[in-house]
Amino acid sequence: MPSGKHKSRSMRRVYTKLSGSKVVVHHEKRKPSKATCAVCGAALSGVPRERPYKMQTMAKTKKRPSRPYGGFLCSKCMRAKLKEKGKNV
Amino acid sequence: MFEIGRLCVKIAGRDAGLKCIVVEVIDNNYVLIDGQTRRRKCNVKHLEPLDKVLKVKKGVSHGDVLKELKKEKIEVKEKVKRIKKVKTGEAKTGEKPKAKETVKKQEKPELKKEIAKEKPAAKPKKAVKKDESKPKKTVVKKAKKKTVKKAKSVKAKKPKK
Repeated sequence: MPSGKHKSRSMRRVYTKLSGSKVVVHHEKRKPSKATCAVCGAALSGVPRERPYKMQTMAKTKKRPSRPYGGFLCSKCMRAKLKEKGKNV
Repeated sequence: MFEIGRLCVKIAGRDAGLKCIVVEVIDNNYVLIDGQTRRRKCNVKHLEPLDKVLKVKKGVSHGDVLKELKKEKIEVKEKVKRIKKVKTGEAKTGEKPKAKETVKKQEKPELKKEIAKEKPAAKPKKAVKKDESKPKKTVVKKAKKKTVKKAKSVKAKKPKK
């Protein structure tokens, strides 16, 4: 039986398959919300959605796309920004 | 729009935000660029043209492109990584293989002796032939593993004495 704290719905339930056709319920903490673009608010691709302790162990290159403003702006907004910059110069 | 010598800003990929010159027009859609970016084929959609057009011949070398960009006060960072890589690579490769070689030299003769000890009475000639005829990788690997374990055990024993 799961202990009382695991029964609360603030924990998410993960069904894991074991060998021998067993299915067990694991109770894990919920993931944080998706990373969003600072300008348009669209969900960013290439940014993993994990709890901070997992993000700490990940490499920097795995946490964001390797372009300017990667992990901060979406690609569309980044292009628009760079175009403006280019014209001003 | 994208004629040869056109100054552009790259808008996509890891080179985004860097300035470059059109060196060659390949297609309606594709163009060869060089400058602060890597010298590479590039889709026109990934470029933003600027006002200036530099006077440059078709297919200019990388060095000449850098000179032209210097006149426009656009500096290009030169790669320093290569030297570092070579140094580190030499140091690493220089140390490791030496150690491996020494280990192998020490272990190999031991192995042969052991094999000889194990099967001296049961037709030693055939055993030798087998070794020659079947130099399989698996056999070698097993032998290496054994030797490593033995070497470790020997090393462990020595300091105790």
